[in-house]
Amino acid sequence: MIQLKQIKKSFGRHQVLKGIDLQVEKGQVVAILGPSGSGKTTLLRCINFLERPSDGEIEIGGITVQCKRPSKSDIHTLRKQSAMVFQQYNLFRHKTALENVMEGLVVVQKIPKEEARERSIALLKKVGLENKLDAYPSQLSGGQQQRVGIARALALNPKVILLDEPTSSLDPELVGEVLSVIRKIAKEGITMIIVTHEMAFAQDVASHIIFMDDGVVVEQGSPVELFNSPKEERTRQFLKRYTPDGVYSI
Amino acid sequence: MGQHPFDISYVFEYFIRLLPSLRITLYIVGSSIAFGLIVGLLVALPQLYRVPVLQRLARIYISFFRGTPILIQLFLFYYGLPELLKLIHIDVSKTPTLFFVILTYSLHSGAYISEVIRGAVTAVDRGQVEAAYAMGMNGYQAFIRIVMPQALAISIPVFANVVLGNLKDTSLAFTLGILEITGRAQTIGALSQRFIEIYLSLALLYFIICFVLERLFFRLERRLLRFEQSAEAEQRLRRVEGSIFGRATSAAKLRNKEARL
Repeated sequence: MIQLKQIKKSFGRHQVLKGIDLQVEKGQVVAILGPSGSGKTTLLRCINFLERPSDGEIEIGGITVQCKRPSKSDIHTLRKQSAMVFQQYNLFRHKTALENVMEGLVVVQKIPKEEARERSIALLKKVGLENKLDAYPSQLSGGQQQRVGIARALALNPKVILLDEPTSSLDPELVGEVLSVIRKIAKEGITMIIVTHEMAFAQDVASHIIFMDDGVVVEQGSPVELFNSPKEERTRQFLKRYTPDGVYSI
Repeated sequence: MGQHPFDISYVFEYFIRLLPSLRITLYIVGSSIAFGLIVGLLVALPQLYRVPVLQRLARIYISFFRGTPILIQLFLFYYGLPELLKLIHIDVSKTPTLFFVILTYSLHSGAYISEVIRGAVTAVDRGQVEAAYAMGMNGYQAFIRIVMPQALAISIPVFANVVLGNLKDTSLAFTLGILEITGRAQTIGALSQRFIEIYLSLALLYFIICFVLERLFFRLERRLLRFEQSAEAEQRLRRVEGSIFGRATSAAKLRNKEARL
């Protein structure tokens, strides 16, 4: 359903993505792992053109965009196929939790306000924030903000949700509540691509794991394959550094 | 120094006599800020969107109006513009002086306001726009719905500076013979020779208007920035208000707040 072909991206002289091919099926949860600077966040941001890829082709749910010379409307249509959850939450600061979730429904999808409101309340209930409808982001904890961010992404009913290190700026004790919400929606069969540093979580939730380093996909496969018997030396090194010995053996 | 001994009762008398001219002062301030807002936005936009040639012109315009005294600008427009227009056979000799004054103040405050707008828009977190784009908004929607409301709230304190500055700058309009409050004060002073009294009441008048405007802007800012008030800050505020004004007001405030929600 999602297909990336030879995605390349350079910042000045530095090539961050060196031709990425990637395929994601409907209902799959794909986790992208890799060391800092490996290009995983850039790749995710290329999928909705928050970064403009220098070259390649992106297809989401039947919409194909050539990255070399995309038109404005191409980008616009492509963006409507996906929703994003940001590392820094990026909730609209001047809007309440409820308004944040409603915004896309009312402004982009032109759904009548009353209906949007009902749907948004239901979604905020789902992420456990039914008593924070009228709170502004500044009045919410990081974990609560991120859960609103997830509800906001779900509201758009996108083909895929892109999650960019959703727990990286949270206090350790708040990570759990966000991960459990993501786990919950993963079970509902929503397609997701997650860039994360949470190894245990990736292993638990993802149906497919991609390991990136230095702008290329080094290895990919099911969590079991990748964590228990990585084929590439680079993957082995990486997993060793991040996980204490024995944690992932069955 | 006049030949009369200082007499405070004149301060109040002159204060009353200055009031009718306040209309002209406020008229200049109001219209030049209104035009200044339009000019400011027009000048800020090419810079925010990096429009090649216009961006340069905007910078030159701003440098000129920020880099030369308002008094000189007044004279340049009042004496220079008619000469310039004569070259293309437009006669403006019958145009009222007030027109040139408002034109100058509008362009002057427009330069400052454009910088206020530019600064405020740049100060809005980049992530806000990204979130808007990511959910499928176009550039216009993202600007109007997400960036502008936040930029507006950020800009209020600086914008207040521009308005207060503009108000005090209008005291130079008398040099072209406009009888706003300063012009009026000078005529009263010249006739009565009671300079201390008249300038005291003039200062008092400026101060009162500025004070009122300050309070208004402060309330506006608090209102627009209410989304930034964290739960604790609000509680602290309530406590402070409670201790100063007693329980009744804070309870009333609370009720107000609930009613608004």
